[in-house]
Amino acid sequence: MSSFNHPSDNLEHSILEEYSIVERPEKKKKLGVLFWICVAWIGLNVIGAIFAAVLPLQNPLYENFSAINLGPSLHHLFGTDDLGRDIFARVTYGARVSIAVGTGAMVIGFGLGAPLGMLAAHRRGRFDAILTTVMYVFLAFPAIIATIAVLSFWTPRSLLKIILVIGLASVPLVYRVIRTATLNVATKDYIIAAKVQGATDRRILMKELLPNIAPVGISFLLIGVATVVTLEGALAFLGLSVNPPTPSWGNMINEARTVLASNPWLVLFPSAALCLFLLCLNFIGDRLRSHFDVTEVKL
Amino acid sequence: MLRYVAKRMVLLIGIVFVISVGSFYLIHLLPGNPATVILGFGATPEAKAALYRQLGLAHPIYLQYFTWISNVVRGNLGTSFISQTSVASTIRSALPIDLEIILLSQILAFATAIPAAMRSAKRPDGPIDRLLGAGSFTLLSIPPFIIIVLMVLFISIKLGVPHTGPSSYVSFGTDPLGNLESLSLPSITLAIGSFVVYYRILRSDLISTLQEEFITMARSKGLSQRRIMWSHAFRPSSVALLGAAGVNIGGLLAAGFVVQYLLAIPGLGYTLITAINMSDFLLVQGIVLTVSVGVVVINFIFDFIINMVDPRISRE
Amino acid sequence: MSPDKLLVVKDLSTTFATAGGPLPAVGGVSFDLGQNETIGIVGESGSGKTVLSRTIMGLQPRTNVTVSGSAQIDGFEVVGASENEKRKIWGTEVAMIFQDPMTSLNPVMRIGKQIDESLRVRLGMSKADAKARAIELLELVGIPSPAERYSAFPGQLSGGMRQRVVIAIALACSPKLLMADEPTTGLDVTIQAQILNLLDELKERLKMSVILVTHDLGVVATRTSRIIVMYAGRIVETGSTRDVFYHHRMPYTRALLESSPKVSNHSHTRLVTIPGRPPNLLKLSDGCSFAPRCKFATDKCHLVRPELEPSVEPGHSFACWNPLPVNGEEPTS
Repeated sequence: MSSFNHPSDNLEHSILEEYSIVERPEKKKKLGVLFWICVAWIGLNVIGAIFAAVLPLQNPLYENFSAINLGPSLHHLFGTDDLGRDIFARVTYGARVSIAVGTGAMVIGFGLGAPLGMLAAHRRGRFDAILTTVMYVFLAFPAIIATIAVLSFWTPRSLLKIILVIGLASVPLVYRVIRTATLNVATKDYIIAAKVQGATDRRILMKELLPNIAPVGISFLLIGVATVVTLEGALAFLGLSVNPPTPSWGNMINEARTVLASNPWLVLFPSAALCLFLLCLNFIGDRLRSHFDVTEVKL
Repeated sequence: MLRYVAKRMVLLIGIVFVISVGSFYLIHLLPGNPATVILGFGATPEAKAALYRQLGLAHPIYLQYFTWISNVVRGNLGTSFISQTSVASTIRSALPIDLEIILLSQILAFATAIPAAMRSAKRPDGPIDRLLGAGSFTLLSIPPFIIIVLMVLFISIKLGVPHTGPSSYVSFGTDPLGNLESLSLPSITLAIGSFVVYYRILRSDLISTLQEEFITMARSKGLSQRRIMWSHAFRPSSVALLGAAGVNIGGLLAAGFVVQYLLAIPGLGYTLITAINMSDFLLVQGIVLTVSVGVVVINFIFDFIINMVDPRISRE
Repeated sequence: MSPDKLLVVKDLSTTFATAGGPLPAVGGVSFDLGQNETIGIVGESGSGKTVLSRTIMGLQPRTNVTVSGSAQIDGFEVVGASENEKRKIWGTEVAMIFQDPMTSLNPVMRIGKQIDESLRVRLGMSKADAKARAIELLELVGIPSPAERYSAFPGQLSGGMRQRVVIAIALACSPKLLMADEPTTGLDVTIQAQILNLLDELKERLKMSVILVTHDLGVVATRTSRIIVMYAGRIVETGSTRDVFYHHRMPYTRALLESSPKVSNHSHTRLVTIPGRPPNLLKLSDGCSFAPRCKFATDKCHLVRPELEPSVEPGHSFACWNPLPVNGEEPTS
């Protein structure tokens, strides 16, 4: 019986499929230098955010009216804003908000959405049907609007509330992605084989399903963090992020709008910080996805 | 086929129903008495009583819902107490702007993404492909509001032109060219985000479609590359593109809000945010309902289109 | 210029550039094919037969592939020709049908249109003419109610029907040479015979030459005049069908024949398999590629690769240092 060509193999693959018994040399998809640079940058941001208080930074809240709207200098690496506050310090502290919101919301989203998704895909039946329908209805409701609405009415605002709202809003999406990924794996024969062997649900979940959906999950997680961080930025523009004077990248960019022409640094630095952070996150998520996806066509 | 449509319609109605309940209940979720919430603390007892009667607040909740939904279906979304204008008419004047922005941005996005993706898929990893890939990836990481800010910065510094405000928006009927110009910034901004998504998805799908055997078969028939790309490769790949478009456009309605607000263009987004700031809850409720239903309907339409292009789906 | 041979292949080699080094999928294949002739190319998975079929057509992938040698279809040199040049003969001089009809048909295009396409683009037919001809073709390949089926999608047809449609498409512009790569492997056994009979019938009617590429000896036994046996990318035996079946000299050919189950075997006859595995093409030895698995291998077999040498019968040659003895008997079954 000759080998069957799977439609998604590239032509070279399908020809080489005839040599399936041949030891094909491992074409390992290297993650690449750029990947690790991005990881380093994210790491830098995280460390900066966590240890901001002990780093030799200026006080981000200290208003120095004799040093307004200065450009970058040795004393103020990124310059100062229109209240004389050091931008570099504010950007570093601003990372806290973005990272906290990003990770916090994703923790909630994945903490709730992922187990439910996996369980639903695994168990099927009534449980799955009901839960999925509910989730899909929630999905149909544009999350951004709900987030805006809730956050604007639920005052006073706090970082915790923001994390909570965004986190809960992301649960249906996480649920759907994880459920689909699990379904792809769960219908494979080796899962059925495990079931027949009498493995308990828990065992199947941990040993068989989890490792297989982990790659998809992780890259989705990273992309999710990026999306949430962007969302925080957008909310800041609507005045729905953390209250000033707490610095957040979104806040800073928003405040900078009014003094756009006179102090472009106020916009550029937090924007650059935000964009670089997102870029690295997206890149890492993308690379991981293609690294783990063995069936992906070599592009 | 008909059965498929009918099934989806039922689903659509179900979702719309749930959304309506959610929107309706929004007001009741807020702390305090709905009347106080809507009218504000300075409301007179007479005003409160009038509102009570109008909204039927004394009745049990499901009756209230019924009153509300029967009004809604008739097009009556209530009258805002802040602006004293009917919510429905406010929405009606703001909605076309959103739709126009979406239309313009999508035209731009498709017109650029499709040829770009076709070109890249023909020679993957070639110089153009790499350039577009890196470029689109970078653009992906720049949120729309930053694009707007940077664009405004660029424009005001280089050209010294003040950015838009609600007065600068010109309707299509009055002045088509001016209309396009006033909407150009938000359209371009949204187009960029859409371009990135469409380009990547179409390219990836095209590349995998091109590996399929029926493409080799088409080649062996002696068909030209152009024909193969457009007639054979594009159609199956467009399914994924349409799927992405559906999701994207659904999200655009909401995503455009921030952009609108920044440029003070009086679309639904701007209206919603100002409504929130002014605590005009009836208007907020009306907009939330309209937008949610709109998104769902758009998704439904796209599902339908996808089914026409690839009939395999309805046969499942 | 009209050569008497429809297809002349000389020393054709196809090498893939892989991460592990050059992979010689096809090495030094030479044969020719006349008008109205049907030959079979037989081999296991990994023998190079599919790569050979595509290389002859000129359909090999464009990147990381090197082709050397020559393959002339009706005088047209395929090796080294540009895509534009090859396009001129694709469909009109030579056509190909593939193994899996589900993947060789565009799933979202109606089958009528897929046939029309060739007619309109290559032959310049009008829409109405093309449709009429397409329906004729559908009837020719034995599809019932062709006028209705014209607007069907591939997914609405059964496997056998689909393959018939593929054949119809291939024949649309009346090619002189048909390359059939495992045309029946993906089909039910009962349908296989139907399709093969259809091909027989059509090639008679349309005066076509056919190359049947397969691993299944049963397919080629009664339908070809000549057989080429391939192993590890090279021809190891070739001759008339009769000679290859009854007077073969190369032990691999025997092993291949022995390993196909025969109806005449007693029940519970053990399936004979060839021990070992096909060789790793990246690490071919200097000797005969089959030597590691051959019962009759000698030292020389491991060290020096045998070239094709003629056997007794005309047109029959084999590549082996220790061939089976010349056998004058023909079994009566």
